[in-house]
Amino acid sequence: MPKIKLEHVVMRFGTVTAARDINVTINSGEYVTILGPSGCGKTTLIKMISGILHPTEGRVLIDGADVTDVPIEDRDVGYVFQNIALFPHMDLKDNVGYGPRVRDMSREETDAVAEEYLSLVRMLDRSGYLPSELSGGEQQKVAIARALASGSKVIMLDEPLSALDARVRVELRYDIRRLVKKLGITVLHVTHDQEEAMSVSDRIILMRKGTIHETGTPLEIYRDPKSIFAAYFIGETNLIECTVVKRTKKGNTQVVLRDGSVTRVAGIRFEVGDPVVLSVRPEHVYTANDGIRAVVRDVVFMGTYWRVRTEADSQDLIDYNISADTDTPSKGDVVYLVFNKKAARLFARPIQGLQEEIVLE
Amino acid sequence: MSLIKTVDEISSNPRNRKAWLALACVIFAVIIVIPAVYVIFSIPSNWSGIQDVLSDSAMMSIIWGAIWNSFSLAFIVTIIDIIVGLPMAWMLVRKSYRFGKYLDTFIDMPLAFPTVALGFSVIVFWGCPEGITVPGTGLVVDPYLMVILLHIIFTYPYMVRCLSGILEQIDTNYETAAMTLGASKWTAVRTITLPLFRAGLVTGFILCFARSLSETGGTYIVLRMMGATTLDVTGFFTGPTLISTIKDIPETDSMPVLILISSLLIVFALLMLFVAKAVMTRLRIPWRKVWPQFGRRVSGRKVAGTKDVLAFLFALIFVLLPSFYIFVCLGTEGTYSDYGGFLGAVGASFLVAGAATVFDVIFGVPVAMYIARNRGTKRAELLDNLVNVPLIIPTTALGVSLGLFWGQLGLSSMGMLLVIFGHISFTYPLLVRNLVGAIEEVDPSYEEIARTLGAKPFQAFRKVLLPMVKSSLLAGAVLAFTRSLGETGATQAIADVSTVPIYIVDLINANDYFGAAVSSVMLIAICFVFMFGLRIVISRMGGKD
Ligand SMILES: Nc1ncnc2c1ncn2[C@@H]1O[C@H](COP(=O)(O)OP(=O)(O)OP(=O)(O)O)[C@@H](O)[C@H]1O
Ligand SMILES: [Mg+2]
Repeated sequence: MPKIKLEHVVMRFGTVTAARDINVTINSGEYVTILGPSGCGKTTLIKMISGILHPTEGRVLIDGADVTDVPIEDRDVGYVFQNIALFPHMDLKDNVGYGPRVRDMSREETDAVAEEYLSLVRMLDRSGYLPSELSGGEQQKVAIARALASGSKVIMLDEPLSALDARVRVELRYDIRRLVKKLGITVLHVTHDQEEAMSVSDRIILMRKGTIHETGTPLEIYRDPKSIFAAYFIGETNLIECTVVKRTKKGNTQVVLRDGSVTRVAGIRFEVGDPVVLSVRPEHVYTANDGIRAVVRDVVFMGTYWRVRTEADSQDLIDYNISADTDTPSKGDVVYLVFNKKAARLFARPIQGLQEEIVLE
Repeated sequence: MSLIKTVDEISSNPRNRKAWLALACVIFAVIIVIPAVYVIFSIPSNWSGIQDVLSDSAMMSIIWGAIWNSFSLAFIVTIIDIIVGLPMAWMLVRKSYRFGKYLDTFIDMPLAFPTVALGFSVIVFWGCPEGITVPGTGLVVDPYLMVILLHIIFTYPYMVRCLSGILEQIDTNYETAAMTLGASKWTAVRTITLPLFRAGLVTGFILCFARSLSETGGTYIVLRMMGATTLDVTGFFTGPTLISTIKDIPETDSMPVLILISSLLIVFALLMLFVAKAVMTRLRIPWRKVWPQFGRRVSGRKVAGTKDVLAFLFALIFVLLPSFYIFVCLGTEGTYSDYGGFLGAVGASFLVAGAATVFDVIFGVPVAMYIARNRGTKRAELLDNLVNVPLIIPTTALGVSLGLFWGQLGLSSMGMLLVIFGHISFTYPLLVRNLVGAIEEVDPSYEEIARTLGAKPFQAFRKVLLPMVKSSLLAGAVLAFTRSLGETGATQAIADVSTVPIYIVDLINANDYFGAAVSSVMLIAICFVFMFGLRIVISRMGGKD
């Protein structure tokens, strides 16, 4: 049964429309991340679910009941703020115990719950500290414990890990997933970190300009994005404008680049003559003795591999990766590129132009 | 501009900067702190006279009564201010009513009214004094209640300002977070927002308490017009009004009595400051328990709306109407022709207020900077606490003390100078407090960056810090200036300088109520023109650079 459902939800702030006609369903116990460019309405979306914002139009349903007009405190939706917002005048135990306390539990019960959740995030030994005495990461953990301790079966996380260093972030994200899965909690998690979204979520919602652009499991979105924007925004990709010239008998589509060089992509979804955009991720581009001729423009070390940036004769910029321990080409070298045709995708070429299709604003 | 250049050069030597700070501190101590409490140290040399007073039981009961009245009044007034100021501050900061902007300016207006004018207006509005034909409500005949009503008017704006200042700084996310955890609005406010108020409440409490404790002129007018200023069992006094009443009795050596009352007021006031700080910072909002059902019920729209309406009505009926009622008095019959006397008084008032304010700015800025930039060091904390001293001491007692101190040094013939010194004492903290707050808001790295770019310290101060705190500095200066314009008690206690409030009190003493009303209104008008003009100047300046 769907846990959360939004029907035709619209949110306007004066002339700004932060959400336009959003329809989405989140299943019970699902871990969903929301990705999207800054200002696309991610925070707005989860604030409407938790009741902090009241949608201009549309309905919000939780457990099948319409909660659009139910005030925040009665929604039972936990929320971890982008800026943490631990109560500065209470120690950690009182912070975490706040949810039970305002539900009129006794002091003993409150303390027991607080201790339980503090220990879940491994902060029990600090229970007497004030928030200002903690590091950013520790505060994040406590904020999450506080949201969980209120007993909500649904929680919203607004970039809960953004303040942390890379290593702690990685550890904490698995901790959170393990915790909420154990407790059977439904999570909506806003993030800017693609790797985070890929690695923890059951499903990703990609938002853009106040709408839900695409949803899918991490693998689906990576392998089979349904749009150029999704391919471009999630993971990295080379986008090459070309035209279909042939549908082969083996079930491939042959396309021609602007300079006349040809390449093949698996699948036959387009007619001969269709203008298309070829999307191929750098990790699926290889060098060979023959293929698309390109000149190396730059070679960048990415931490664990080399990124080679080239310009093809068709003037398309094509990146590819090579492993860290192999020799790299030098600037100005000529290379011949081939694509993994099973991993490459074709999209109809947008009428308004490729750049327009992928702008973030 | 070569003077400024010279100062720039001088300022790059750290020794010069230290010397300047030391000078400012010495001046602060010699002109402000020491004279303010000197009266206590004069007790031994006046001991025989004081002993006579102590054995005069009739006098002593009047003195104790007055002191009790002063403190209990100030306490009650401050508590009322907190209770009614909170919803008003809330409404101004958190709600966006269309009339909010006007309300915001209106609330401040009583601050521009000299308290003598307010006193006159209040007594005419709430009481019905003899000899005045204006129809008052005549509701209040008890002097105690009347003084409470008066003091609320000029302390309430301070409290609302103070509370709304804090409220603006409290992140609304805390409340929202509490509500996502299941707290109703009421519970969230009670358990999260109110406790975060604490530090600010202490400041507001001290400010209002001190202001109420200190006030002389308006209170004197109210009591005098109620016929309560007789020195016997039927009289009703506060500490400061008792001092000014006794001072007015000619031909007796009243010094020992004045010393005794002033010392008592000062000692109790300082104790009060200490206790208020200690208690309020430790005070915990005691109820851990929450009542979810009750909280939910009072969190509704209706309750909130009712609360707003009540807050507004309170401001209207108890603050605004009584303040402006004085204008009605102009409609009565009467003659007033002593414009020369009035103008002379205005001249004296402006001289005193102007000189005091200039002094405050010159010597207040370095001290404020030192306090703000050296937070946490012992010396800065000491200075910070010392600055509060003249603020909490009732100005009349301060005046007595000052008069004694400078009289000892043989300066008692220079009345005008001493009055200026007196006004410096109680306006200085206002300016410094304002400035410390503003400077603390400015990240010191701005000045440091300016220094790394080659600016001399004084240049960095002028070009970087000053523009950022300019509005606060001016606000502080305006506050100091208007406070000085409206002051009665200190002036009266120090010397025979006829500033406007004194002039008005004298008219009342001569039963010339119409004259008092006319001069009060003229004084209000002058204050308004002055403040309004200054605002224009400020906004022009703001536009230029
Ligand atoms: N209270 C508000 N008043 C007016 N406009 C608002 C308000 N809140 C959000 N907006 C606007 O709505 C749009 C979406 O904002 P939102 O905070 O949801 O973005 P976001 O996707 O969370 O961005 P980020 O990733 O930067 O946090 C923005 O254009 C923002 O300016
Ligand atoms: Mg956001």
